Amino acid sequence: MAGILSTVKRIYLAIYNWAVFSGWLQVLIFAIKALNESGPAAVYDAVEKPLQLAQTAAILEIIHGLIGLVRSPVSATLPQIGSRLFVTWGILYSFPEIIRYSFFGMKEALGFTPSWLLWLRYSTFLLLYPTGITSEVGLIYIALPYIKASEKYCFRMPNKWNFSFDYYFASIGVLGIYVPGSPHMYTYMLGQRKKALSKLKVE
Amino acid sequence: MKVTLVSRNGREVVKGGIELDESATVKDLQETIHARTKKYYPSRQRLTLPAKPGGSAKPIVLSPKSKLLDYCEKGKSDNLTVVFKDLGPQVSYRTLFFFEYLGPLVIYPLFYYLPLYKYFGYADTDRTIHQVQTYAMYYWCLHYSKRILETFFVHRFSHATSPLSNVFRNCLYYWTFGAYVAYYVNHPLYTPVGETQWKIGFAFGLLCQVANFYCHIILRSLRSPSGNGGYQIPKGFLFNIVTCANYTTEIYQWLGFNIATQTVAGYVFLVVATSIMTNWAMGKHRRLRKLFDGKEGRPKYPRRWVILPPFF
Repeated sequence: MAGILSTVKRIYLAIYNWAVFSGWLQVLIFAIKALNESGPAAVYDAVEKPLQLAQTAAILEIIHGLIGLVRSPVSATLPQIGSRLFVTWGILYSFPEIIRYSFFGMKEALGFTPSWLLWLRYSTFLLLYPTGITSEVGLIYIALPYIKASEKYCFRMPNKWNFSFDYYFASIGVLGIYVPGSPHMYTYMLGQRKKALSKLKVE
Repeated sequence: MKVTLVSRNGREVVKGGIELDESATVKDLQETIHARTKKYYPSRQRLTLPAKPGGSAKPIVLSPKSKLLDYCEKGKSDNLTVVFKDLGPQVSYRTLFFFEYLGPLVIYPLFYYLPLYKYFGYADTDRTIHQVQTYAMYYWCLHYSKRILETFFVHRFSHATSPLSNVFRNCLYYWTFGAYVAYYVNHPLYTPVGETQWKIGFAFGLLCQVANFYCHIILRSLRSPSGNGGYQIPKGFLFNIVTCANYTTEIYQWLGFNIATQTVAGYVFLVVATSIMTNWAMGKHRRLRKLFDGKEGRPKYPRRWVILPPFF
């Protein structure tokens, strides 16, 4: 029984990872195509659909972590996914995502990954984390006055449940989380890198 | 006898080891380590026996009251190797609890009494304070005052200290949630529920708080004042049916508060607090079941609800 369950789990994870991989690959291809043909303004419209799909699939990943399907701790995946749900950024993310999903896809499907892929997975973050974080923070900051004026995604009081959500204040809160969050994420990845690449040397 | 003190990567913590009398206790060892290393006071030291190679069993922690001889292998009573781990700067539990509870106690009334909402964009012109909001403030403050008093006069702690980093983490949790709930219950646009509902809510909550206090008194009597910190099977009152009756009453007490005040923020707080306490309760229940397994003359731990009858 346990054997069947773990096989099902592997098949599910293999399919999931390859599906999201192809989603991000699409994002990258559409983004570059739109950039070439029409310029930066057209990029978002071109990638919107596969991007939203891939980003939403990322929520599944938090659930995977929560129910123990994968071993990543929720404290590391939640801010990762959460930050990207907040700001979607086509090209910058499709690169690491393509690497990451093909990495997991191969691992689940075939049981191993090529060492160059492992290296890529644990090294690209060194550059992409700082650039990614800077662009996210920058974007949120620039968007703040627009968020405030547009009143989008706001739910106001009074109401029966005494609940409110203000996208503007939530954004400021998110910016605050970046302060302890970024060093935490970066050092976590550095630790993971050390562990993963040392395992490589042993083999 | 000579004690060799090593860190987990094999380095000698005290060069040349420590010479102690054969009748020395672990506590004596701890005080000597402190004297020799200056910065590692006893509550910072975690002393274990070296792990058996290949085994995955949890290392044996040296208990301060025990004699060092008890941990020596047969026939080797003149030499003992002890593994040392620095637990980092420690803070007494009383200090930790005091600061984490002080926040909500002070922050909540700030939202009630001070015109803070103008900083959130609400002109403080005609703000009518509903009766339920006043009672909510009293209820909340009573709760956290009770917690502080219990910390100093009721609770007996199994460990005297907690790592310093927990102060920041715990205060962040309590203070942030305190402000989050206080913001919504004292909001100028707050919509109260019907009078019957909030009266029932507060009455139920108060009842649970009294029950919770009684649970704490029972738990206190399970531990001797000399701080042995041993485990006993809790019994009496609600403990006869629920292992962690103290958590149960705490959770239901917050439920009463939320029935009365009805805010999403309050319910979020309830859910988070419940999950944290449930986690603790499962650990405690498991530990007690393992300890009281009915073997070797130990009593068997009776079948009970873990934390939340009738669900779990």
